[in-house]
This record gives sequence, structure tokens and C-alpha cells, in this order.
Amino acid sequence: MNAWKLYFRSMGIHFRSAAQYKASMVMQMLALFVMTGTELAAVVLTFQRFPALGQWSSQQIYFFFGLMSFTFGMVECFCRGFTAFGGQVRTGNFDRLLLRPRNLVLLVLCAQMDVRRIGSLVVGVAALAYGAFAAQVHWTALKVLVLLFALAGGGCLILGLFMIEATATFWSISSIEVVNVLTYGGRSTCQYPVDIYPRGFRWIFIALAPYGLAIHLPAAYILDQTMLGLPAWTAFIGPLAGVAFLCLMLLLWRRGVAHYTSTGS
Amino acid sequence: MGKLAALDKEAAYMAYIHVDQLDKTYRISQRSKGALGAIKGFFRPNYTQVEALSQVSFDIAPGEVVGYIGPNGAGKSTTVKILSGILVPDGGTVTVDGRIPWKQRRTHVSHIGVVFGQRTQLWWDVPVIDSYELLRDIYRVPQAEFRRRLEEMTEALDLAAVLHTPLRQLSLGQRMRCELAASLLHSPRLLFLDEPTIGLDAVSKLAVRDFLAGERERHGTTIMLTTHDMEDITSLCSRVMVLGHGKKLYDGALDPLLARYNTQRTLTVEYEQETQLDVPGAERCQKEGLTYRVVFRPDQVDTARVLELAQRAGHVHDLSVQGIPLDEMVAALYKEMAL
Repeated sequence: MNAWKLYFRSMGIHFRSAAQYKASMVMQMLALFVMTGTELAAVVLTFQRFPALGQWSSQQIYFFFGLMSFTFGMVECFCRGFTAFGGQVRTGNFDRLLLRPRNLVLLVLCAQMDVRRIGSLVVGVAALAYGAFAAQVHWTALKVLVLLFALAGGGCLILGLFMIEATATFWSISSIEVVNVLTYGGRSTCQYPVDIYPRGFRWIFIALAPYGLAIHLPAAYILDQTMLGLPAWTAFIGPLAGVAFLCLMLLLWRRGVAHYTSTGS
Repeated sequence: MGKLAALDKEAAYMAYIHVDQLDKTYRISQRSKGALGAIKGFFRPNYTQVEALSQVSFDIAPGEVVGYIGPNGAGKSTTVKILSGILVPDGGTVTVDGRIPWKQRRTHVSHIGVVFGQRTQLWWDVPVIDSYELLRDIYRVPQAEFRRRLEEMTEALDLAAVLHTPLRQLSLGQRMRCELAASLLHSPRLLFLDEPTIGLDAVSKLAVRDFLAGERERHGTTIMLTTHDMEDITSLCSRVMVLGHGKKLYDGALDPLLARYNTQRTLTVEYEQETQLDVPGAERCQKEGLTYRVVFRPDQVDTARVLELAQRAGHVHDLSVQGIPLDEMVAALYKEMAL
């Protein structure tokens, strides 16, 4: 029984659990649909006034929005074990996971799913698809590949950012709001192209929380735009920054686990 | 000397669980009152040390059923957490079947089962069988083995009627039976039970105890049980360990431990017609209709003598002699050990 199969079976259980309360599940999905939809509407309404933002057309901005909210939604939906990790530790559910003979990261990922987020995923996909269509993207095999890289690398980056808070819970720090600047703040900032911001500010999202590398570069490549002055091939490398970020956070998290098992709190 | 050391070594090897001089201290942060205290605590946390376990040693042989008792906060769950590999001790050595639990967590936990009486390991909203299948995948139990084991459990725990019902719709007793099956699906050699009969009705308690005894009989499973229910201990355990303030206070059979607290008898005797019963040396002698209740201490009045007096007094309809209830003896024990 490999890890993926176990993961998908777990997600199946969570989905069926949520489906036990159909009305509630549908209402919550709808709520998230409306919430993300409103954010999109705000972007659309803004660009009724300003047809373009620097080199970016409004349609291209929709594509950016879609890419970010879809990637973010995927992480919130399918990696809830980490995005809501504090709760697992507080309820003692994490102790239960330690009693299972599997990789801990896998177990945490399998432990939860946020079915409601499917509502935001729908909006994300719609914005992504409409943006690409309206901006007349000429799809090539390489562009599809870059899109997949962006989803994977961006997903890793976002998961990594959530893991900072997850790791902090091991030291009984209930929530560090500073991290929200990078997760949710990063999300709202980087649903627009990074190059619309002042140079100094950009560095936060290139060096610290590299949304600029994992999401901006691939998106700019797909939309045939200039890429922060970098050559085209960097679109394939950029998402690796997200993977590297996640690996680093995983190492920290493992130290957190070691700390947790030695203190028991 | 050389031979003795060799024997010691052999004894340690024979033990399934070997615990030697186990220490565990928790640091609990204390915060002074108010906002100022919170700020102060942030910069200079104030910790108090709480000794959860201190110099605890014991050996458990394979197939033994050991009761682990002590008042709340005595260190029982700390021990179980260390033995199951989710907590690292500060000092001492622990081996379970030759493994150091916290060093080889994944190998170790695949050979043990843990039941927390108050916390489920099953998924709340899906049929029980779905949870079992997911556990099968987690523990990598081969399908044939899983089917055989599930069949055995279904029969022994009478699960056939509940397997396809979501867990949340089951009664507490049914849930506990499902829990037991869940923790044994991967055929662990060692089972930890944390208050397995808490909150259950009499029938369910008996069912759980019967099953555990049977499981040990059939598979030689080593069982370690923490409980506040002394009936669990008397019906299952050949051995009991008493823990208090992190120290092991007693290790052995339950009866000799409690014998010294079982110092009082109550004779209840019901007569056919009005009589006068008088027992010299008894602590108390109450009359209620045709029934007398005589409380006496066997070290002051012979039980045989009391019975004889009771019989002579009139025509006996019914009669019983009872010792001190188990729970009261344990309470006396805890009190004397100043727990």
C-alpha cells in the first residue's frame, strides 16, 4: 500500500464524512464560492476603471488571480492537516498519529481535509481558464508544463509557509500572527504580478517568501510577458524555490516533533 | 558473582518489557496574573519542575496481563506514552521486545495496539468497516490476514450488526468494542489499554473483559491496563503495579496487597420471625424489620463464632457475609500511601 493510495483513500473518507451532512456541506462550499467570488469581483470591478496595470492587461490579471487562488485553495483543501495543525496537537490527535507506523508528514496530511474549499477552487479554475482564454494565451506543451510546475512549486511554497505556524505549535506558541503576513498577506499581494510593486518591497516575495519565483515567473512566461528581467528558462527553475522552501520547513518541523516528544506538551 | 550477573542478564533478556530506573520530569510554565505577568512570562518564563516518573523499574514477561493503578496524575499515562514510543524519557532504559520505543517509533508502533477509553481512533462519520479498511492500509495488513482477523473479531466482539453503521450512531459499549477490534486488527504483540471500561454498563464491561481474556488466551498478547475499575483488575490481571507521585509503590498480586485493608465484615441475616440477636464484641449491630446487620472485625470476633450466634438466635431465612468493597480498600490503600 503506497503513500499516495493511502492519501487518496483518506481524502475519500473525509469527503464521505462531510457528505453525511449534505445540506451543511453544500452551504459551506457555497459560502466559500461566494467569498472567493467576491474577491474576484473586486478585481474585475477595479479593472473596469483601469484597463491595464503597467504592462499587464486586465485579462492577464484575472489569470494571475486564478492561478493564486487555485494554488492556495488546493493547499487549504488537501493539506488541512498542516494548515490547521495547532488543533490536532491541542486535541491530542497528534499523539494518535504518532502511534501509527507511517511517515509522520504523510499521516498529518491524511488526517484532515477541508471540503469547503472546493467552493474557492471552482472560482480559481474559472478565473484561470477565463483569463487564459481572454488574454489569448498561445498554449504550447512547454507552457502547460510550466503551468504544472507553477501549481506544484506554488503549492509547496504555500504549504511551507503554513508549516512555520505548525512548527511553532510545538513550542506552545499558539499563533504567530507575523506568519499571516506571508501566507494570507502574500496571497493577496501576489495575486497580482510582483513587478507592479516597488523594487525593495518585491524582495520580500522573492527572497523571503518566494512567490515571485514560484508563481510570478511561470505566469509571466505563459502570458509572454517580461519576467523581472530574467531569461525565459527561469520559468522552469523558479518553482523549485517553492520546493526548496518546503524542504527547509520540513526539516524545521522534524526538529519540532523531536522537541514535542521530549517535552510531552 | 559472575554467574549471578549472567542470570540477571538472562532475566532482562527474557522480559518482554524491560524498564529500568525510568525518570521523566515535565517543565510547566507558570504565568503570573494579569497583563504585566503575561509580558514578564514572555521574556523570562517561570518554570516549575514536576516529577512525573522517578526511578521506576519493572519487567513484564510475554503474555502477562498487568494492571497499572494509582490516582490521577500518578504517572500512569506518562509510562504508557514512553512505552509506546511517543514520549522520550529523561533517564533510564526501556526496551520492548528488544526495541527502544522512541528510537524506532515506526517499527515499534506496528507491533503494539493502544486503546484510549476516552478518545477514539476511528473516523466518526463513516461506517466502522471503512475505518477498519483504512487502518488495514495504514498498518499494511495483507488482505487475507485482514479478512481472517476481522472475522475473528466480529465473532468474538459480536460486531456483525454494527460494522456498517457510522460510529457516531453507536452506543458507548458498541463503540468500545469497535475500538478494541481496531487496535488489534494488525495483531499486535502488546496491547495498552487506558481505562477500557470507563462509562460502560455492566453487560458491556463483562463483554470487554471476556474478550480481553480470550485474546490473551488465543494469541498470548501481553496486556498492560490502566484503570480505576478494580473489577477490571481482579477479573483480568495476575499482577498489579501501584504508582503514586511518579514512584512505583507496589508490584505483585492484588489480594495480598489488599488483605490488610480487608479488616471488617458485614453479616446480613434475615430471620423467619421476630428474634433477638446479640453479638458480643461486634462493632455495630443494627436491626431492620426481620433483618440484622452486624459489623465486626474478624481479628476481634471469630467469624465462625458470629455465624454460630446468628444461627442459634432463630430460624434463618437468608444469610450473607461480605468484606469491605474493593473500591473502599483501594481508597484506604491510596490514603495510607499518602497519595
